[in-house]
Amino acid sequence: MEQAEPKIVAFLCNWCAYAGADLAGVSRLQHPSNMRTVRVMCSGRIDPLFVVQALKSGCDGVLVAG
Amino acid sequence: MDKCIACGTCAEKCPAKTADAFNEGLAKRKAIYVPYAQAVPLKYAIDKNRCIYFQKGKCRACEKFCPTNAIKFDDQEKDITLNVGSVIITAGFTPFNPDKFDNYQHAKFPNVVTSMEFERILSAGGPFGGHIHRLSDGREPQKIAWLQCVGSRDLNRCDNEYCSSVCCMYAIKESVIAKEHLGPDFKPTIFFMDMRTHGKDFEKYYERAKSQGVRFIRSRVHTITETDTSGTLELVYATESGERVSEQFDMVVLSVGMEPAASAMEAAKTLGIELNNYHFVKTSDMTPVATSREGIFVAGALQGPKDIPQSVVEASAAACSAAVNLASARGSLVKEKTFPAERSVQDDAPRIGVFVCNCGINIGGIADVPAVAAYARELGNVVFTEEPLFACSQDAQEKMVEIIREQKLNRVVVAACTPRTHEPLFQETIRNAGLNPYLFEMANIRNQCTWVHSSEKEKATEKAKDLVRMAVQRAGILEPIPDLSVGVNKSALVIGGGVAGMTAAISLADQGFAATVVEKSSSLGGSARDVQHSWRGEDIQAHLKKLVDRVNSHPHITVLTLAEIVDASGFVGNFETRVKVNTNIHTIQHGVVIVATGGRASVTDEYLYGKHPAVTRWHDLEQNPELLSGASSVVFIQCVGSRDDQRPYCSRLCCTSSVYQAIEIKENHPDTDVFILYRDIRTFGEREVLYKKAREKGVIFIRYSLDKKPVVTGSGDGLDVRVFDPILQKELVIHADRVNLATAIEPSPNEDIAALYKLPVNAEKFFMEAHAKLRPVDFASDGLFVCGIAHYPKSIDESIAQAMAAAGRAATVLARASIQISPLVSQVNSDLCIGCGLCTEICPFGAIIQEDADGKGFRAKNISASCKGCGLCASSCPKKAIDMLHFRDAQILAAVCAAV
Amino acid sequence: MSNKTTVGSVLVVGGGITGMQSAIDLAESGYYVYLVEESPAIGGVMAQLDKTFPTNDCSM
Repeated sequence: MEQAEPKIVAFLCNWCAYAGADLAGVSRLQHPSNMRTVRVMCSGRIDPLFVVQALKSGCDGVLVAG
Repeated sequence: MDKCIACGTCAEKCPAKTADAFNEGLAKRKAIYVPYAQAVPLKYAIDKNRCIYFQKGKCRACEKFCPTNAIKFDDQEKDITLNVGSVIITAGFTPFNPDKFDNYQHAKFPNVVTSMEFERILSAGGPFGGHIHRLSDGREPQKIAWLQCVGSRDLNRCDNEYCSSVCCMYAIKESVIAKEHLGPDFKPTIFFMDMRTHGKDFEKYYERAKSQGVRFIRSRVHTITETDTSGTLELVYATESGERVSEQFDMVVLSVGMEPAASAMEAAKTLGIELNNYHFVKTSDMTPVATSREGIFVAGALQGPKDIPQSVVEASAAACSAAVNLASARGSLVKEKTFPAERSVQDDAPRIGVFVCNCGINIGGIADVPAVAAYARELGNVVFTEEPLFACSQDAQEKMVEIIREQKLNRVVVAACTPRTHEPLFQETIRNAGLNPYLFEMANIRNQCTWVHSSEKEKATEKAKDLVRMAVQRAGILEPIPDLSVGVNKSALVIGGGVAGMTAAISLADQGFAATVVEKSSSLGGSARDVQHSWRGEDIQAHLKKLVDRVNSHPHITVLTLAEIVDASGFVGNFETRVKVNTNIHTIQHGVVIVATGGRASVTDEYLYGKHPAVTRWHDLEQNPELLSGASSVVFIQCVGSRDDQRPYCSRLCCTSSVYQAIEIKENHPDTDVFILYRDIRTFGEREVLYKKAREKGVIFIRYSLDKKPVVTGSGDGLDVRVFDPILQKELVIHADRVNLATAIEPSPNEDIAALYKLPVNAEKFFMEAHAKLRPVDFASDGLFVCGIAHYPKSIDESIAQAMAAAGRAATVLARASIQISPLVSQVNSDLCIGCGLCTEICPFGAIIQEDADGKGFRAKNISASCKGCGLCASSCPKKAIDMLHFRDAQILAAVCAAV
Repeated sequence: MSNKTTVGSVLVVGGGITGMQSAIDLAESGYYVYLVEESPAIGGVMAQLDKTFPTNDCSM
């Protein structure tokens, strides 16, 4: 049986991680398509409650990168 | 060029390959290319010399496949005449090419690379994706040797007798990064003559590299050979004690120096400006960015070898110099853009339009764009969808404005590339249609979707739908945000009346801005009063007198001496500072602050200083020439209190200063023996010429190490100096009539200034700039700048350049009637705030203060002008009393909840 | 120099880190800037560097 693909919500800092994700695109670096990005102005903006809400909404993992 | 959307199809189809110069020839690129992925402008260009059509008359594959008809083969070179008020030349340097010298074997052995090639090898965006391997056989290297001073400090093989200033540090950096890549077993070795880590925080970097296992060997390698067919190299060198060693290495990196770029020299010639002996642009220490021709300025490595921060400093200094000349024409050639009046949307239900861009085939070729648009049409509040071929093209933009008006849209979502490059463009478009720019949202379905999932078309389509859904949910609750601007008080407060402070004040006053110079001592001049000559031999006292006269007589400058700052408040454009002079308090309103509190030579209790009259420091001998009469032997001791545990930094000026003084003594008293006891001689850049001259004049240089410091004892009227000579491998006893100490340069006491303006200092109490490389005179908080020795020990030419740079940066604030600031700031709801003060403590920009709220205790208050919108306060507030405009909790959560 | 002949624009030769900084400062101070670069992209040598000392920041 094929393993179910986890759904990931990623909070990315506009100035670094989000820019990095864009650059991955420019460089055509292929990667799995199961991540959904929420752009924020700083990873310090992430309230733990956002993470809880993401998990509550049904995602399987949360990535905070900045 | 306007039509190119950088999709890359042309390069994909182009059949002609050539060496990729950006990757130092380690990779290939096409004849139509962008130099690198992040290039600005991101537009493909044709390399005429490699293009098959230009060379052989047929091909035109790029033209055939370009989706936007952006290829113009008939584009002609044009001469353009510009009428300008000033010119700044910054055309830079070329790395030294070692191929002309066979001893380095760069052209012959594949595993000998230059430092620039190694940068590309290290780079994750480079030809090997950041995987270090040998060019001969692809094997991961275990041992790499860096050879310093290739094309620098070398009169035998090339004409570059100067030091290139940056190679020691970049070699250490490359060795440290290589170790990060290759792991603990990797053994880097740096072969050097003197380690020159004279910049801010460089010495700590050097010490850290040593502790991380980078091996430093003081020797010049004379022979490189290949030992076997795999390309392993054998290096032969002599240790300091004369022992001959041969050792094998997997790779050799040549730390190549800097030469003025050939095209730059040509441009300099065209401009008619004078070059020096080494073909760098000639300048004076007192006017470090002025060329020989009025109105033409120079900055960066074209003026002499230097690192990035110093180049950036000079860039701002040159901008300031040009601005001083052109002040009367400021603003005459720039225009403000205007927009139609904004339509109110507060009372209307959301009417969202979604534009799903095809981006040629970049999105449309992978994701099913019609399906994504159809999906979007079904989402709540969406009243219109469209699928433009290129949403960013001029015609699509104009159409978008019409659609917004016709469909009465009040929110717009564009699903396309990335907001990082295109959000401002689309925001401008909706402003042209009468909407507030913050009623716009982007879904990134190209960079972060179709480009990275190109082989999974269905999944890419699904992801694009999800991203559009998230954007639409968020867009529905976006609010208009008014522009935020603050007025500017067009005057400066300059703290410190030394050379840096005075230069900064004059540079601003000459542009018509008022400046107040606050000096705590009774007179202007600062530490420059003790120094007679700059390293190029220019008269510092004459320059100082001119500066003091100009500051005192300038109609736009107020000088307060014996002045103490007692209170400060405000933010960019609107500071208020209270200064106490005697018993009077002056309240000064000003738009910017320039901190130039300076530094001083420290006192020491080492080497009998203060205990024996023959022991002096720094410029004592120069200022009291009688101390040298009859002296038959003078010993200089370097690094007294620098580069040790207490002060783990290099004081930067001392080597040059002692060498300069030693030459003067030799010139005036040729029979006097002069010794310089040093750890590394750091006569960086063209100062190296002084070091050479000193040796030619017979000054004797003896190296000592921290664990075997010289010992000074009294001996009759004079002194005995004992030092271990590492070359002779024995202790020498020098009888000296004078011992002069180069004590560490330390910052003037600055705790009060740092506290009043909330400015960061480093461990050694030098003020900390916003960014070590790119913002060397700015503080992280807007409107505050630093220059001179308050920032780090530096020579007078460097202080002057930095002071002009601080003035140049300050002028970017003072030149405007008001400053537009990003309105994406934090907002306190004072009804919910309990005044705990956590936000004030946590804010890195001083943008939230606690204010007395009429007997209710303290409440947080925003200083929006200082806010950078990071949201640390909002996420930390225990009462949820703070929210971020455009990134409200509800707006972020709307996207989160729509994500799955 | 009289006001009549003063032109409020500057030519910056070279689009490396130094030229870019000069251009930005002048533009932000109210002067029109022509930034001239011989290659197809600005960025200069710094763009080629992997990381920068002493912070090991990426040079992009």
